[in-house]
Amino acid sequence: MKILAIDTSFDETSVAITHDDCIIANKISSEIEIHKKWGGVVPSIARRMHEEKIDFVIQEALNQAKLKLEDLDYFAVTYGPGLAIALEVGIQKIEKLAKEYNKKIIIVNHMEGHIYSALSKNSKGNPKIEYEFPILALLVSGGHTELVLMKDHGSYEIIGRTLDDAVGEAFDKVGRMLEIGYPGGPMIEEIAKTGDENAYPLPIPMTKTRNTEMSYSGLKTAILYLTRKVFTENMDPKIKAKITRDIAASFQKTAIDSLILKTTIALDKISKTDNMPAVKDLILAGGVAANNLLRKRFRLAFSKKYRIHYPTDKKLFCDNAGMIGVAAYHNALRGNFYTKENPIQREPNLSL
Amino acid sequence: MPKIIKISDITTEEIIKEAVNTLKEGGLIVFPTETMYGIGADATNQKAIDKLLEYKTRREGKPLSIAVDTIEMAEKYVEVNNIAKNLYSSFLPGPLTVVSKSLGKVAKGVESEIGTLGVRIPDYSLVTDIVKSLGKPITATSANASYKKRPYAVEDILNNISTKQQNLIDLILDAGTLPKREPSTVVDTTLNQEVVLRQGNIKLTPVLERVTNSGEETQALGIELLNKYKHYLGYKSIIFALEGDLGAGKTEMTKGIARVLGVKDAINSPTFIIEKEYAIETVPDSYLSEKKPTFYHIDTWRIFETEELEQLGFLKQVSLGNVFSIEWADKIIDLFNKISEDSIIIWIKIEHGKEENQRLITVSDYKA
Repeated sequence: MKILAIDTSFDETSVAITHDDCIIANKISSEIEIHKKWGGVVPSIARRMHEEKIDFVIQEALNQAKLKLEDLDYFAVTYGPGLAIALEVGIQKIEKLAKEYNKKIIIVNHMEGHIYSALSKNSKGNPKIEYEFPILALLVSGGHTELVLMKDHGSYEIIGRTLDDAVGEAFDKVGRMLEIGYPGGPMIEEIAKTGDENAYPLPIPMTKTRNTEMSYSGLKTAILYLTRKVFTENMDPKIKAKITRDIAASFQKTAIDSLILKTTIALDKISKTDNMPAVKDLILAGGVAANNLLRKRFRLAFSKKYRIHYPTDKKLFCDNAGMIGVAAYHNALRGNFYTKENPIQREPNLSL
Repeated sequence: MPKIIKISDITTEEIIKEAVNTLKEGGLIVFPTETMYGIGADATNQKAIDKLLEYKTRREGKPLSIAVDTIEMAEKYVEVNNIAKNLYSSFLPGPLTVVSKSLGKVAKGVESEIGTLGVRIPDYSLVTDIVKSLGKPITATSANASYKKRPYAVEDILNNISTKQQNLIDLILDAGTLPKREPSTVVDTTLNQEVVLRQGNIKLTPVLERVTNSGEETQALGIELLNKYKHYLGYKSIIFALEGDLGAGKTEMTKGIARVLGVKDAINSPTFIIEKEYAIETVPDSYLSEKKPTFYHIDTWRIFETEELEQLGFLKQVSLGNVFSIEWADKIIDLFNKISEDSIIIWIKIEHGKEENQRLITVSDYKA
């Protein structure tokens, strides 16, 4: 089954071609660098940007897959969650193409896409992935932090989520407090390598309540007070660098500790649920899962008892259409097509 | 074929002399760094840069970065702000590219079209010595042709390019196979500079001052404020403009506002997504229109220019009479003059108090 998938949930315009659960082409606008004004670290979020780029990105994906639009079986698009005005661009494009080429449409939840990012294969059919339901997925990014129980393809239950800030957002904001530029995630990971993660003991968020709800706003504020205490005007740069590295490492450790703790609590909770088969597989996905230390700690904590799946291609951690195509494939297998007469509605606050 | 010098064969002085002469004549040199092989041209020489862009085919306008030897040289080419200064003094030299606002002193094609420029100080003395001797920055882009394998050995480069491309390189400084390291981490220092509210531009008339001691109390003030202003619903947009540092409680305030509006979804931070919209379920009896208004929770933290918010349809949303909570409102102060006729703007400044959870909140009426 060959699918064209579009994701314009936020700042990236992404188009993919998938063949069953294999990703044949997966183009992301910021990587293609169509024009200099779209370059830089922080892509623009304007609707106009998506509209200007989308045809070009579709063409790039088709070129790489060596296919034409008429060769594809179905068209798929993300309808939420995301930025309303950005989602609309992808939806309108897919509706227009579906009419023109007379194809069925599959609408996909972006978060379902992130789950399938860890169950996707490349164009050669690698890696081989074995899994059985139920699966517990930890989805971590700049906009989301949630634990999802996947009971079957298309059957999800949110076990826990952040009450305030997403963990990726906390990385960016701590980066701002440490005055190390934007984005904070990769930079914190880089400088933390030579920092002491036990230098500043920080409270792991939401430990008192043994529940699966998460919070990163308090940790962010704790770092704010810490930076006010330890940094002084005209500090020796070497001392300042050492403290910055130590705070970055301590923060990163605490954020990761919290994610592992909440995953442990969730697994415990699921194991005590009546009529629920034991979880054997875990998924770790989303932009923050690109953090090497998080993946390492996750493996250390869980790999003895569980099979752990995360994306094997760097691109699949970010927002991308490849994962949307694979999610769409599983939807199509269940006959889950968009058949309504009225236009597809974007759902910015869509949840699994 | 380009000239290849094995750097172990001759003295460092001779290598530097040879490299600098090549660069001065507008030539391209391939050199080792702590991350991988880079390709360099005099960043101020237009002919040399054109030659480099010809070598890096299919770049479609991706900006280049430059290598300097010191922060002093960097300051001649980019605006080094406080964040950049911190990075230079604490983490450079090292595998880091610091993006700053360019001063326009480099050749065309080096900086980005939005006027930013990435700067490196490689942790590799041969490179900084060449730059120092040249007295100017050189480009520090990776030596592979675009989309080809990352170059850790000279063969990685030569085996993946055409004869025409090989002929564009003038000199290769061969240090053997380099340890495989990731490319440098790129950080942008141009986002979220401190905003200084221009005096006289706006008039804020304080109407209420309050000290809160918890997130819940800040939420409660949000409830109180919406109740105070909700009679405007249906006549004007109601805009809560929130000003306050990280962790001040801007989202807490918004949670209170949303509660009175009967928003069913959980309110969490819109920082990443910039704008979240919610259906308003509770409208006052005086509200006549059939279409229910929308509650927009906006966070400008990640946007560069007010123009971006306009492109998201902000002005139209205001003209239709909705409710807004805008975090980091001070960043988009320029937009407020355009909307003051269609809306009632309540400016809320939240400051950290002496105690950890204490906040000093000043509510003002805004007049353009």
